[in-house]
Amino acid sequence: MAAIATPQPTKTPKPKTNHRTIAAAISIVPGMGQLYNKQFLKGATFFIVVLSYFLVNFELFFKGAGNGPGDRGAIWGLITLGEVPGVRGDHSIFLMVEGIIALILLVFGIAIYVWNFIDAYRIGKLRDLELEVPSLKMQLRNFRDNGFPYAMLIPSLVLLVFTVVLPLIFTFLIAFTNYKFNNSPPAKLVDWIGIQNFLNIFTVDIFRDTFVSVLGWTLVWTVASTTGVIAIGIGLAVLLNQKGLKGKRFFRSILILSWAVPAFITILIFRSMFNETFGVFNTTLLPAIGIDGGAEWMTDPTYTKLALIGIQWWLGFPYIMTLTTGILQSIPEDLYEAATIDGATSGEKFRLITLPMILFATAPILITQYTFNFNNFNIIYLFNNGGPAVPGQSAGGTDILISWIYKLSLGSNPQYGFAAAITLVLSFFIMTIAVIQFKRSKSFKDEDMI
Amino acid sequence: MEIKKLVAGLSVSVMAIGALAACGGGTDSGSSDTSSEGGKKPTKIVIWEDTEKAETTKAAAKAFEEKEGVKVEVKEVKMTDQQKKVALDGPAGKGPDIILLPHDQIGTVVDQGLIAELKDGEKALEPFIDTAKSAVTFDGKVYGYPKAVETPILLFNKDELKEAPASMDDLYKISTEQKKDGKYGFLALWDNFYFAHGPIGGYGGYVFKENGGKLDPADIGLNNKGAVEGMDYIGKWYKEGLFPKGLIGGGGGQAMDQLFGDKKAVAVMNGPWAVASYKEKGINLGASALPKLPNGEAIKTFVGVKTYAVSAYSENQEWAEKFLASLTGEENAKAMFEKYNEIPPVTSLQEDATIKDNEVAAAVFAQSKDGVPMPNIAEMGQVWEPMAAALQLVATNKQDAQKSADDAVKQIKQQIEANNQ
Amino acid sequence: MRKQNRINMALSYLILTIASIIIVYPLLWVVGTSLNPGKSITSDIFPSNPTLIHYFDLFDATQTDYGMWYLNTIKIAVITMVVSVALITLTGYIFSRYRFVGRKNSLILFLVLQMVPQFVAIIAIYVLLNMLQLFDTHLALILLYAGGAIPMNTYLAKGYFDTIPKELDEAARMDGAGHLRIFWQIILPLAKPMVAVIALFNFMAPFNDFILASLVLRSPEKQTLAVGLYNMVSEQFDNNFTLFAAGAVLSAVPIVLLFFAFQRFFVSGLTAGGTKG
Repeated sequence: MAAIATPQPTKTPKPKTNHRTIAAAISIVPGMGQLYNKQFLKGATFFIVVLSYFLVNFELFFKGAGNGPGDRGAIWGLITLGEVPGVRGDHSIFLMVEGIIALILLVFGIAIYVWNFIDAYRIGKLRDLELEVPSLKMQLRNFRDNGFPYAMLIPSLVLLVFTVVLPLIFTFLIAFTNYKFNNSPPAKLVDWIGIQNFLNIFTVDIFRDTFVSVLGWTLVWTVASTTGVIAIGIGLAVLLNQKGLKGKRFFRSILILSWAVPAFITILIFRSMFNETFGVFNTTLLPAIGIDGGAEWMTDPTYTKLALIGIQWWLGFPYIMTLTTGILQSIPEDLYEAATIDGATSGEKFRLITLPMILFATAPILITQYTFNFNNFNIIYLFNNGGPAVPGQSAGGTDILISWIYKLSLGSNPQYGFAAAITLVLSFFIMTIAVIQFKRSKSFKDEDMI
Repeated sequence: MEIKKLVAGLSVSVMAIGALAACGGGTDSGSSDTSSEGGKKPTKIVIWEDTEKAETTKAAAKAFEEKEGVKVEVKEVKMTDQQKKVALDGPAGKGPDIILLPHDQIGTVVDQGLIAELKDGEKALEPFIDTAKSAVTFDGKVYGYPKAVETPILLFNKDELKEAPASMDDLYKISTEQKKDGKYGFLALWDNFYFAHGPIGGYGGYVFKENGGKLDPADIGLNNKGAVEGMDYIGKWYKEGLFPKGLIGGGGGQAMDQLFGDKKAVAVMNGPWAVASYKEKGINLGASALPKLPNGEAIKTFVGVKTYAVSAYSENQEWAEKFLASLTGEENAKAMFEKYNEIPPVTSLQEDATIKDNEVAAAVFAQSKDGVPMPNIAEMGQVWEPMAAALQLVATNKQDAQKSADDAVKQIKQQIEANNQ
Repeated sequence: MRKQNRINMALSYLILTIASIIIVYPLLWVVGTSLNPGKSITSDIFPSNPTLIHYFDLFDATQTDYGMWYLNTIKIAVITMVVSVALITLTGYIFSRYRFVGRKNSLILFLVLQMVPQFVAIIAIYVLLNMLQLFDTHLALILLYAGGAIPMNTYLAKGYFDTIPKELDEAARMDGAGHLRIFWQIILPLAKPMVAVIALFNFMAPFNDFILASLVLRSPEKQTLAVGLYNMVSEQFDNNFTLFAAGAVLSAVPIVLLFFAFQRFFVSGLTAGGTKG
């Protein structure tokens, strides 16, 4: 931690004293090292913080978990998942969550404790090198300057730990248990079962078949919907930004409407428009262009898929359009002028100047669009609930992985352990792609140039 | 705890975490602080009633409080959500004493240990009709007080149809005639296994074989000869265009209500819950038991019994039962019928004038004699989705009945097996 | 060349017009439906006997709690917006200007971790909220929305702050301004477009979520619009489509208005934050 900057002496004389070791060693009682270094206020703070922290959390760590006899802490609960089933007994899942929370808190506590050692050691080293130990005033100023980023990040960090990290650890752990609908507390205890859930993805026929077909459609869906959105968005942005086009504002305002209306609402509207008996597509629009009898939008997987992709195009393009507009406005005019002098047609200008500029500048955003659609639960669920049915699998014909996971974990017959295993497999895919992309994106490469 | 919190307050970061931990330590004490033994009067009991159907229950609760001095708090929670919610709220120490369930969930909920066996047992069930008795009994034990009985019946537009047809063949004729005018005769949601069980059961299919009062989950009769015949019969209605395409899938109920409400269909197969909204749309509504199938058998609908059960987490089981006995008793059950059309499975009320003269209630009673109670063992949970898939394939004519039924049964068996691993 | 150009232009207008019709049609349709008497789905965009009855019905407490859902949603949306903007801009600023342990990878880490679907973990969120006595409160929902918004939006915000010259900070520091004052008085006002975009996105979040809201909120009187509207159309029986349509129109209107009010910030807010970030 960067609380105190260590000035580098030009020449390192051999220290005569060994304050750093002593300070670090007696820091086993928090604050003692600082006391030894004659930093009384800091020492007292460390002592009180660490002590109160463990006092407050003592009960959570070591007592009162579950309803069984004896002092059994949350960590015990996490390891055993309970010993006595029943309404007045241990609830494995509650124990697991409490255990994870205790674990997170413990890590926080240990971090403070470790900092206590490091700090004592550092100051001790300063004394060994016969350098000036920062005065109280300096310490405070140092703390204000170097501690500022940490202090400001704490609220966000705490929120993230509990909204992102805790659920993640829980999902991860559940994947290794036999938690499912008919093996759940209070009647039964949940047990650790190793990698059985992962094996089931490939060994139980119905799960394997479903997994393969759902994964296939998920990939097709992701590529088709996202690529379409990008193409339409860029296309319309280029059209809108032509010189001499009148009514730009008007068209832009209209086109952005599909972004402005909450997607949740529009999807429900589309669901009604595609109703096979009453929906406007089958009653009005298709007959108007000479197709009678309508299409099976809700009961034939192929049509449902087409409808879904179309709706996502409708919903998604304004974002890309807006983004592209910004980039188009920043492309220097002389590039085009030079190209015109060289005799380039407008098609060539688009292909050789505009498109590469756009794609280069928006690459990271485009990747997030793909990952967004890969996990686009709302549209699949709201439009037709993953339906229609297809033979021989436990998911609907338009279910993507995430909506299948939804059915597996919140449907009528939850298979939490298996759902968690699928979640991890899915996450592995998507994280790999995302990490590679973010790492390659410019902003993170240039990190140290700021 | 207060002093500890004060100490923790010394550090901003630690305080945020510490407060969290302080609360965390306290959660488990919640469930054990009330030590009510036996008949000790609790301060209050909590019941979850279905949404928008709570007025009469609230009245009954008030009367009970005046008489017994125990407050009853009525909270509105959608019936279909209650099972999932009690599984969380119960262990968290803030669940209700009484929940409301469709009886077919009883097996699952008992397997999960969420509801308690009635202490009054058999005695409590004396006032109720037999179908209701067997519906709330699981593994020989009684788990709830029946609130209402329901089963799909034939609802028809009296302006178009003087009286209920005697056979499905008659309805079929009406449908083919109506179709010429671009309208529909009879409509049913036969891609939904709840409704489709009627014809499937009528032709001889069954879900689980009953063996000496117990259901055998290993013997599934949904792809036997009768079941396939029943599914073929179902498919016929769709194939010949007598049921519109929009009737299939999630929006089907909506589509059916709309066609019937707009007088574009003469009759529908639906439950008593739909009656109010049809009348509101100005339909001159008639009701009867469903007509006989072409093979002369009755349509074997599923009979469902809404059941009040006592949560296993309740500390006040005796008082909860006492309240339920009063809530499902003659007087309150009748009030519930009058206000919400909830048909009480109370034997003495069957002869009651208000119920006897009610066409819908009479039809439900008549139909439930031919029906079968929905299986209440946990394995039933594995049946719905595969059967819905099979029926949809038949309805959309994508696969024949035999193959679809075989696939479904295979899937049901696999799922039951995967679940029991 | 001229002629070619004119054809190009004509073609552009044609495409833009067709696209506009495709965008507007479903929206007009739902407005038309909401004005239709009866309860059913129709295909009349312009009903012959339009009525506003469904709009009045929405606020008739005996029929729906729409008014209550509306107030709840606006309340949640506004607070979520304020909390998120405060956290995100500050976090983004820290990431843009300060060096600290974990700076380089923690943002990517959270961005990536956030991609893991949380359906299985809904039980864990329940237990956590229960421990904190936050279950069935709007505060819980606000914290969950704000937490979920941090990683991606911080990424945008950091990108935007990176485009603001650091010399400004240094000059202010010379003048003796403190950390927070530099952020609050110098940098934040320069980042208005980005703040506008982030505020709008976070304001919209509660209008689009029905999963978390239906998990966290138990009491009917605390429900939000998305959950209420979803229940209106998903009831298999006794469905009232025209009422839903009216409700949908009314809930979309404030967002659309906000959207247009903020539209001028979009291009700069998104482009700078999203691409160079």
